[in-house]
Amino acid sequence: MSALGRWRSRAAALLGGALLAAAAASAATGSPGAVRLPDFERMTLGNGAELVLMPKRDTPLVAMHVVVRGGSLADASGREGTAALLAELMQKGAGARDGAQFAEAIESVGGELAIAAGAESLSLGASFLARDLGLMIELASDALLRPRLTAAEFDKVRERAIQSIAAAKDADPRALVGEYGDAWLFRGHPYGRPVGGSEESLATVTLDDLKRHYEAQVRGDRLIIAVVGDFDVADVRRRLEAAFGSLSRATDKAPVATRLPTVEGRRVLLVDKPGAAQTYFWLGNVGASRTDPERTAQAVVNTVFGGRFTSMLNTELRIKSGLTYGARSNFDRLAEPGAFSITSFTATESTVQALDLALATLDRLHAEGMDTATLESARTYLLGQFPPTIETNGALAGRLTDLLLYGLGPDDVNEFAARVTAVDAAASKRTIGEAFPQSRNLAIVLVGDAARIRDQVGKYGPVTEMKITDPRFAPR
Amino acid sequence: MNKACIVAAGLLLAVSAGPAVSAPAAVAGADRIVSRTLPNGLEVIVWPDHDIPNVAMYTWYRVGSRNERPGITGISHYFEHMMFNGTKNRPPGDFDRVMEANGGRNNAYTSSDVTVYQNWFPASATGLIFDLESDRMRYLDFDPKVVESERGVVYSERRSAIDDDNFGTLVEQVQATAFVAHPYQIPVIGWPSDIEGWKVEDLQAFYRQYYAPNNAVMFVVGAVEPEEVFAFAERYLVPLEAQPAPPPVTTREPPQLGERRLSIRREAQTPIVAMAWHSAAAPDRQTRVMEVLLSILGSGDSSRLHQRLVEQEQAAVQLGTSLDQGFDPGLAWVYAIVPPGGDPAKTERLIDEEIARLAKDGPTPAELAKARNQALAGFWRGLETISGKAQALGTYQVFHGDYRKLFDAPAVYEGITAEDVRQAAATVLRADNRTVGVLTPKLVDTTAPAGTTAGATAGGAR
Repeated sequence: MSALGRWRSRAAALLGGALLAAAAASAATGSPGAVRLPDFERMTLGNGAELVLMPKRDTPLVAMHVVVRGGSLADASGREGTAALLAELMQKGAGARDGAQFAEAIESVGGELAIAAGAESLSLGASFLARDLGLMIELASDALLRPRLTAAEFDKVRERAIQSIAAAKDADPRALVGEYGDAWLFRGHPYGRPVGGSEESLATVTLDDLKRHYEAQVRGDRLIIAVVGDFDVADVRRRLEAAFGSLSRATDKAPVATRLPTVEGRRVLLVDKPGAAQTYFWLGNVGASRTDPERTAQAVVNTVFGGRFTSMLNTELRIKSGLTYGARSNFDRLAEPGAFSITSFTATESTVQALDLALATLDRLHAEGMDTATLESARTYLLGQFPPTIETNGALAGRLTDLLLYGLGPDDVNEFAARVTAVDAAASKRTIGEAFPQSRNLAIVLVGDAARIRDQVGKYGPVTEMKITDPRFAPR
Repeated sequence: MNKACIVAAGLLLAVSAGPAVSAPAAVAGADRIVSRTLPNGLEVIVWPDHDIPNVAMYTWYRVGSRNERPGITGISHYFEHMMFNGTKNRPPGDFDRVMEANGGRNNAYTSSDVTVYQNWFPASATGLIFDLESDRMRYLDFDPKVVESERGVVYSERRSAIDDDNFGTLVEQVQATAFVAHPYQIPVIGWPSDIEGWKVEDLQAFYRQYYAPNNAVMFVVGAVEPEEVFAFAERYLVPLEAQPAPPPVTTREPPQLGERRLSIRREAQTPIVAMAWHSAAAPDRQTRVMEVLLSILGSGDSSRLHQRLVEQEQAAVQLGTSLDQGFDPGLAWVYAIVPPGGDPAKTERLIDEEIARLAKDGPTPAELAKARNQALAGFWRGLETISGKAQALGTYQVFHGDYRKLFDAPAVYEGITAEDVRQAAATVLRADNRTVGVLTPKLVDTTAPAGTTAGATAGGAR
């Protein structure tokens, strides 16, 4: 049996032994955005697996989220996509069921269950009617503890993964430009490896690679399990202990990435999509981590710069000029800083006009910052839009595992409003200088009709060119 | 950032879920829903729900691309964009600036049948949002400069979703081919030459004709009480003047007399097959039967088509089904992405075989139970959020005539039999009743030096 405890105090968790509810009110308090996590209970199993249980009874549904620390960071160089294929293959036969029976078991009761790889974890998300909670735990634990990993299913899964990338390259390029962006910015760094692999790397991945990943990474002390919904806490605690308590501990620490310094200067990757009607662009540099102490100030500034409809970027590129349907900026937050990126797209013939405008808008952020009214508007906006992010069982389960994965406490949610309110002019000014790149330092990706733009984009930096049909996301 | 998204008639409207228990579904708080019709004909429906301190306000107008004609195709959607671009009282951009400064966010979507405006905001901003919403319902204005720039925005939206997306390209063509008479043939985004041609006068006429309180329904769901909502309605919405009812869409699609086929050649690695059959209107019981049929055929990894085409034969990378549910009979869709180098004819043949098997033998009891359970779970998932509740109420009030039917629908699903499903497969999913579109890679001239094979410019991208 394990140490039991509550979210707020790890010490109490270790000393306690009693299951204590975190003292938190789920109801809203007076000011917008000031919501708190509903009550939950937390415990650690003997094998190191962490559990968080949050009863919530407004619908007869239950959601489960399981995070397995590790993820594609554990992929060997050249074997990108190993973790992603494993995530898929775990659903193609587990425990007493083959692939078809596993899918049938989920869907026959109207359930949903999917496993996906991320850079720093595998994650399983499930949503079932509360009456099928036992089946949900059985299927989740079968997939994670007893995957069959057969050669026949592996061949199909790998082939389909390769074909799906080809299909994505025939579709709306908005979905892929970030894949090229990460690869181009984080060249040679683990964050630059495509989580899902490339056509080229997937062709080299073997079933043994998946089995090695499974043995090393999918272990008891790598698990974080959250269940939210209509259930009895003591009952679910017993079921989870029985289902996951037997998984042995890992012999190594979970893989970690080192921090990549921001890149200096500019370089351009031109991805040729012949006949494309638009150029899809991504401008990025190394940004900020999930746990960055300045993350709230960064969020406020990003709201102003490219995070909402009236942002500086969208105002310039869409509202005032009609160059695009949308322009935005974003921080990818991992254990170490991921990409800060600016993305948009425009008709091929207006490529240079839109790029110039995006760069000029970034320059203006650094030169002028924002006035008091804009800062106040962004704070109010973030506060007003925060409660819906933790409205559903699934959103809460995902948030709880995220907090544990990155070592953040419930204050990340409960004190959000206070942190936002505290972002003043000085903090926003400081953050602009520290977290937002200068326009002279950017990795740039352009996906478009190279024949029509190649001669115009050299002014942004040295250009490297590849074809969208090349079986990889980075040039050789 | 996704303001003004398009809901193509069908494919993005996934087969919607409905409940599958016999009694009216006991949804917590549903007894607190209050509905009132204002003297000007505007219906206001309130569902108080204090789970989070926020409110979702959805305003539905009964207008979409179904109400268009050649020359102004796409104008319903373009008009939707213009609803954010200034009134006689507020300059362009003010609507968004004020809403965001008060913690609110908005979006909108247009389909073949309806245009829906969505506001999400902290409850403290409710009065202000009523002010903003009523202002654009009554005093919308068209700044010529914004009319031009917004044309560029919509064109860009079209290029991403249609011209640079092979699936979007194919679906647009199949839909345009499936209807020879009914305006469901019109793509919601509009044809390129019409995007270039919309005029301010077109917008003004459209506003007068369709944006009347008697052509709209408003849903307010969240941390509010009905009495305060109706007080705001009294102040902001009652002054809106009713207008003559818009002209009805009277054209009916004549029965299809044989299979139609079309082919598209594009830069591509993966061929695509899309099939569309004429089905039924939203409130028709046949539409519920078709939901169950398509769910058994292609919803999820355990469905017949997925198991056969994706798992057993590797004749599809992905596949899916979809069902139009509008005022008039729409399309039932099956589509498949074919592996690179694969044979679309084989994919088509396998789909045909699975349909024939279902039309002959009907579904198993387990398949019927599965479809009901999926509908039931989907029903509850749809009601997990205030936004989902506003959308569900709207769907039933607007398309089924009464939001209460949302909770009654279980009885309808419960009554669907294996024979209903078999018959629908036999009578609806017939070759003579369908349009088949196949997209295949165009032949590339491999002899030309790299960089000079520019390829044809995608449709309308000038």
